Amino acid sequence: MSRFLKIIIPLVLGIALGLLYGWVIDPVDFFNLTPDTLRADYKADYVLMTAEAYRAEQDPGLAARRLAIFGSQSPSAIAADGLAYARANGFADADVILIQELVTAMQAWSGIP
Amino acid sequence: MRRIPWATLLALLAGIGLGLVYAWTISPARVVDSQPSALRADFKDHYRSAIAAAYLATGNLTRAQARLSLLGDTDTIEALNAQAQHMLASSASGQSFEEADQVAALASALDQNGVILPTSTPTIHGTDNTPNAVNTANVVVTINAATSTFPASTTEVLDQLTETPQAIETQTTPIAATPRPTRTFIPTAGAPFALTGQESVCDPNLPDGLLQVLVFNSNRRQMPGVEILITWEGGAENFFTGLKPELGNGYADYVMTADITYTLQLRSGSDIASGLTTPTCQTPSGEAYSGGIKLTFEEP
Repeated sequence: MSRFLKIIIPLVLGIALGLLYGWVIDPVDFFNLTPDTLRADYKADYVLMTAEAYRAEQDPGLAARRLAIFGSQSPSAIAADGLAYARANGFADADVILIQELVTAMQAWSGIP
Repeated sequence: MRRIPWATLLALLAGIGLGLVYAWTISPARVVDSQPSALRADFKDHYRSAIAAAYLATGNLTRAQARLSLLGDTDTIEALNAQAQHMLASSASGQSFEEADQVAALASALDQNGVILPTSTPTIHGTDNTPNAVNTANVVVTINAATSTFPASTTEVLDQLTETPQAIETQTTPIAATPRPTRTFIPTAGAPFALTGQESVCDPNLPDGLLQVLVFNSNRRQMPGVEILITWEGGAENFFTGLKPELGNGYADYVMTADITYTLQLRSGSDIASGLTTPTCQTPSGEAYSGGIKLTFEEP
């Protein structure tokens, strides 16, 4: 084996080992995360919380502010995502209705026909 | 004797180093599917506020407990109390007193129910042995336990719930108007507070005329966010407990002006402390100075 290969092969092997350790065995510990990284079920539950509060408060601005912590989408889109998840994952009918009301309110609030 | 292949070893170590730098620094594993416990502190505050608002809307304490346990707070009640104080103190941030009240109300409800929340996420309830499935099942358990459409595998969790399921949780068909529990009162709306202590405080290290107020709930825990009304001839002012958390969650103070007589009571209803004037104290050397008053209110 040439001297070149004796260097390259261990180097590549080392890189692979390093990536395996750094990505799989001991990945970086994440904290101080933003809500958009939450798993879909947690997001849906947060939307449900907002919907429950909205039912009592009837304040679309406040509901939109609560949903805005997800940042990247409009409140109506966030609520719609939550509704889709709730429907697909067997949430109670009463909860689905609550989220549906929130979606409607957010669409009206943001002027979506 | 065979020679040690230093070049090969060095290349291997260099490769490992490069791999780690890339995996930990340049391109760390992307964060997806995180849990609420990993959120930044201010987003956790938003999360708690939403939980509190939902709790006040539904009255479902079991659901609120399940949600709070996801945040991984060491002491959930203290975390809620601290947040309520912070929200009251930072009204400039746009957070209303009502939202602070909601958070304080949830803390009070948990406190009065003697709730001890788990500090870990509910991973112990998983029914599947594969790590990923356990993780997923856990959240399904939590959420579905709250939403009442229970997969068969969540019955173990349901057995652990002691709260009587509410009417909404037994419904199986859509309804036009979901019956919701009545709104839960904020903690200060309970029985009137009793004035259990009134004493003059002679401490030359304290500001002259310092009126200190301490408010406790029925469990002898200090209550933040309690509105206090102080009046005098021709004037009135409001202040709140909890704005100086370093002195106690239920602590509030006000500096009285000499020669003015004050009357004080808690806005939500309490005994009235009247005839409050700055007392005159004396140092050991006989020098006079203005002292203060300490009032203690307790929920019966």
